[in-house]
Amino acid sequence: MTRFLLARLGTALATMAVLSAALFLATDALPGDAAGAAAGADATAEERAELRERLGLDRPVVERYLAWLGASLTGDLGRSAAAGRPVGEMLASRFGSSVLLVATAVVCIAVAATMLGMPAGLRSGRPVDRLVSSGTVTLLALPEFLLATVLLAVFAHGAGLLPAVSLIPLGDSPWQHPQALVLPVASLFLAGVGIATRLLRAAVATAAESPAVEQARLSGERGLRLAWSYVLPAAAAPAVQGLAVTTAGLLGGSLVVETLFDYPGVGSELARAVAYRDTAVVQGFGLALAGTALLVLLLGDLVSGLLDVRSRSAAVTGGRGERRLR
Amino acid sequence: MTRAGPRLLLLVPLVLVTALALVGPWLPLSSPTERIAAPFQPPGAGHLLGTDFLGRDVLARTAHGGRTLLLQALAATALGSAVGLLIGTLAGLARRGPLTWLLRLVDGVAAVPGLLVVLLIAAGSPGSDLAVLIAVTLVSLPFSVRVIGAATARLTELGYVRTSLARGDGRLDVARRDILPNIAREAWAEAGLRFIAATQLCATAGFLGLGAPAPEANWGRLVRENAAGAAAQPWAALTPALLLVLLALGTTLLADRLTAPARPQPSQQRTVL
Repeated sequence: MTRFLLARLGTALATMAVLSAALFLATDALPGDAAGAAAGADATAEERAELRERLGLDRPVVERYLAWLGASLTGDLGRSAAAGRPVGEMLASRFGSSVLLVATAVVCIAVAATMLGMPAGLRSGRPVDRLVSSGTVTLLALPEFLLATVLLAVFAHGAGLLPAVSLIPLGDSPWQHPQALVLPVASLFLAGVGIATRLLRAAVATAAESPAVEQARLSGERGLRLAWSYVLPAAAAPAVQGLAVTTAGLLGGSLVVETLFDYPGVGSELARAVAYRDTAVVQGFGLALAGTALLVLLLGDLVSGLLDVRSRSAAVTGGRGERRLR
Repeated sequence: MTRAGPRLLLLVPLVLVTALALVGPWLPLSSPTERIAAPFQPPGAGHLLGTDFLGRDVLARTAHGGRTLLLQALAATALGSAVGLLIGTLAGLARRGPLTWLLRLVDGVAAVPGLLVVLLIAAGSPGSDLAVLIAVTLVSLPFSVRVIGAATARLTELGYVRTSLARGDGRLDVARRDILPNIAREAWAEAGLRFIAATQLCATAGFLGLGAPAPEANWGRLVRENAAGAAAQPWAALTPALLLVLLALGTTLLADRLTAPARPQPSQQRTVL
């Protein structure tokens, strides 16, 4: 277990290194660099060169990357060119809103995926399964921005039931304005429920074929009791992993949903910073989102490792396993 | 869902949408950037699908908005699959060394949301369709490498592959002669899945305003631009959205056919409860 954890941690750190390098190269080191943008169109060659030196752009890329990474790791994310505020402060003020949005959607997805994926997995190949599977394939095929736009057009512009823009006064938490949360959460829910249900259905279908469940069925367990006490524990490990993958995906989807509804979160600010070439914000917010995604995946692996009966020590599983079979 | 007839019928819209996307800019329509009437006019003479938020012809803009998107997705899929095949087979053949570490790293990168990666890579070169193409390729690459690497690793223990390697044949030769013919089906199916993801990512990139800047038409951007007027003039946002839906569902069904087993196994039908 410790070895598995260390290996996963190592992979996550290596991935983060690769991603941060790609992010830095794309935003800082490509031609049309920050000096050109900062000096303006009519700067002379000398002015540009002087600015390059002052900003440290004449140093080698690797050196600049390491300096940037070191500063980022110690919490210094630089200053936004557009807002003039420290990026760390901006991130802190918006992170909570995004976490609230994504967490609410994930809870809804977990409930719905269990209620749809369990019957589909237990009756694989039957009409219920075919219905659920066709539905999830359709949801999977549609990009999240289409789903969100349909919700926006129908419920906000068409029926006028809900606000089209998530107007949340400065300093208020989105909790205090639940009507502003409905459409963004519903969009993220539709974007993630397809993949989560599919992963859960696969986990349940595999668990339902396991000898332990077969044994329980032969000894007379039926219906909900069989599903709750035998199938769900066996399917829990891959299901948690599936939910972690879905959550990480929703962090990407939140970029689109937050932008569309102008929800004051990390994603909408990142999209705005990309449009306005606010390099420090793009780098800081990008690192934060990528790091969060990797952390969620790591947590998913950790929890699913703890839930997986086979990876537990024999002393713990031996007794339980036997009791279950009886 | 197992009958071939209705499924093939569903592919007809896909062919039509693809044709429209590719031929659209050559059709004799009015200019996609010229204002011809007041904003958000309902369909009428001179503008069959009405006008958009700036009073431009929706039909002309829709006809122009698909080609870049489709070509971007196709090029990203082709590039990603080709490089993925090369790296994947070589990494799958390697028993130890840096290439096996690469497979592990690829697993990590593949788990990061693709949209985030596309946004961050394309952010450096705003207004560039090429940057979007490269970003989408980089996102699809890890998946190709992973699937091809796993498929290759399953074959490396087979007698004839071991014989070839022991005989001292070059890795590339072994990959070409002994591995590729046996993983062709998986490679095509994987390319299909990558194309679906690439189409979604390219459309979403347009929606977020990445790629060629504003007056340029792009189905993703058309949905964004005209969503606000959906109550008054639904066709402006609905037409590109419908085309994207047809493209997405059509490619998904096609990929489903490629990946599905030739005949449903009897064991797939079972009831536990």
